[in-house]
Amino acid sequence: MSGIIEVENLSFGYIPQSTILKDISFEVTPGTSLAIAGPNGAGKSTLLNLLCGTLVPKSGTIRIDAAPVESYSTKALAGKVAVVRQEFVPVFGFSVIETVLMARTLYYDPMGFESKADKKIVAEALEMTDTIQFASRPLGSLSGGERQRVLIARALAQDTAILLLDEPTSFLDLKHQVGIYDLLKAAQLERDKTIVTVTHDINLAAQYCDEILLLGADSNYHIGKTKDVFSPEQIEKVFGVRTFAGRVGQEKFFIPLGKFAKDSGQIGNKPEGSQQK
Amino acid sequence: MRTALALVVLAVVMFVCLLIGTESVSLKAVFGGVGAQESVNPDYEIFVQVRLPRIILAAIVGAALACSGVVFQALLRNPLADPYILGISSGAGLGVTIAVISGLNWTLWGRSPIAVFAFAGALGTVWLVWFVGRLTGKFHVTGLLLAGVVINAFFSAVIMFLTSIAKAEQVHATIFWLMGNMTEEDFLVLWIGAGCVGGGIVALFYISPQLNALSFGEDDARSMGVNTARTRTIAFGVAAAITAIAVSLSGLIGFVGLVIPHGVRLVFGPDHRQLLPLSSIVGAILLVVADTVARIIVAPAQLPVGVVTAIVGGPFFLVLLVKYSRKVSWLK
Repeated sequence: MSGIIEVENLSFGYIPQSTILKDISFEVTPGTSLAIAGPNGAGKSTLLNLLCGTLVPKSGTIRIDAAPVESYSTKALAGKVAVVRQEFVPVFGFSVIETVLMARTLYYDPMGFESKADKKIVAEALEMTDTIQFASRPLGSLSGGERQRVLIARALAQDTAILLLDEPTSFLDLKHQVGIYDLLKAAQLERDKTIVTVTHDINLAAQYCDEILLLGADSNYHIGKTKDVFSPEQIEKVFGVRTFAGRVGQEKFFIPLGKFAKDSGQIGNKPEGSQQK
Repeated sequence: MRTALALVVLAVVMFVCLLIGTESVSLKAVFGGVGAQESVNPDYEIFVQVRLPRIILAAIVGAALACSGVVFQALLRNPLADPYILGISSGAGLGVTIAVISGLNWTLWGRSPIAVFAFAGALGTVWLVWFVGRLTGKFHVTGLLLAGVVINAFFSAVIMFLTSIAKAEQVHATIFWLMGNMTEEDFLVLWIGAGCVGGGIVALFYISPQLNALSFGEDDARSMGVNTARTRTIAFGVAAAITAIAVSLSGLIGFVGLVIPHGVRLVFGPDHRQLLPLSSIVGAILLVVADTVARIIVAPAQLPVGVVTAIVGGPFFLVLLVKYSRKVSWLK
């Protein structure tokens, strides 16, 4: 195998009697992006926590850069994998620059202070995420979208090959959702990052990510190129929701249809591409 | 840089406070040696035997309490945490009560049993809280806090029960001890205390970058490469130990451990690499000043220093809070 992340026969359950993830295998090629999608409770965040070593698999192996996750020390793993978790505001009023600088903790000198190189990397991360203009403001005073960019800046400043993100766009408006995905795509293309994103937004995932891992509640899963994984039938099967599928240019999109959706009975699931006239 | 400056201020404050007191002391007389007609030099006696140990003790205790206040706030991610939150105060109080009521009068390395019992009670209680807290999960902040609060309440009830069946003078002795006082003449004990507290503060300073990361939570800290279990164990153990030392040297002095960290954080920001040493020094300064005030303000009687820290420090902190709080512009 040649993936920078290799997952083999992975199973996990929070209590011994139940398994939430069962016999999952996949790999992520270096420099590509993978979206993990699926209904609530399917184990998306669990899978992310397994990938970064926060949780330990019940069986199976996860390899990062060809070595099992559990063989890394905390420090060594932090040199390979950076994580952006669902955002929250810390108790003490750390400023943006202090927050981003923390990513360099493991590279501090013995007295616990940052080097010139650390500062340069932090400045680049602030630049790239467009957060440099509020560098001295406390994190708590920023909007949700700005704060999320700061946390991504922190992950970038950790200077790792792999970036894991847990629902980075959950609380953001359309513009900021797109902004975050643009930023991640830039990081992938310009800095050769491997990016794994847990997301609820199948349309943005389809648009921005190279591959999709669709995780069902019954630990069924599908992985592959977006166009192979996402079909109205597949989505209905996994999410239990009918969708209206369309296509704009190369991009596929899905609109969920609820019970009260107008004309939902008539539109149904048209074959892909049928909306292009 | 700021830390070095603060150290200079501390030295100056300690020196000035040495000179202040109900008896005026002339430096010339202190170092002039014994006069021809006297067998003792009263200025020297007051200066070195009475005031110096008090001031050193106040500095040690102030530094220990402020520093462990910073650490407990970071570990528990709770701005209301102080060094006593996990049961150290009630544990020490229980130790003292037991020592007083059982009328022990032996000494251990020249220490009265009261201080030894206070130290043992403080550390024993913290260990108990830590142990119970661990039972609630790997590192469950809420579980730890709840265990601390409940054990505090339980021991307070035991203390009240014991004092209600004790003799009046025993109760008085207990209360007097608990109020906090700065009497310690034995320089050896002082230097040992200073060494332990100083060493503890240095150890905590070395993990201050990790404390920064821990403020963002367990998982975030770990993904930034922090060995959280090790950091927490060191931080918790060292902070509890220096608090227990402070408590057994001087009784319970409130306020310093809660308010100094907040005050320093408001003015200089939350970065622990700076917050920790600065808080320690500012805590030392505050307690030296407060103790000097306690010595002289109602002379020849003396106030418990805890009263002074709260009365002087409270309003001062409120001023800081209002002045430095990050204002929200649209809220007039």
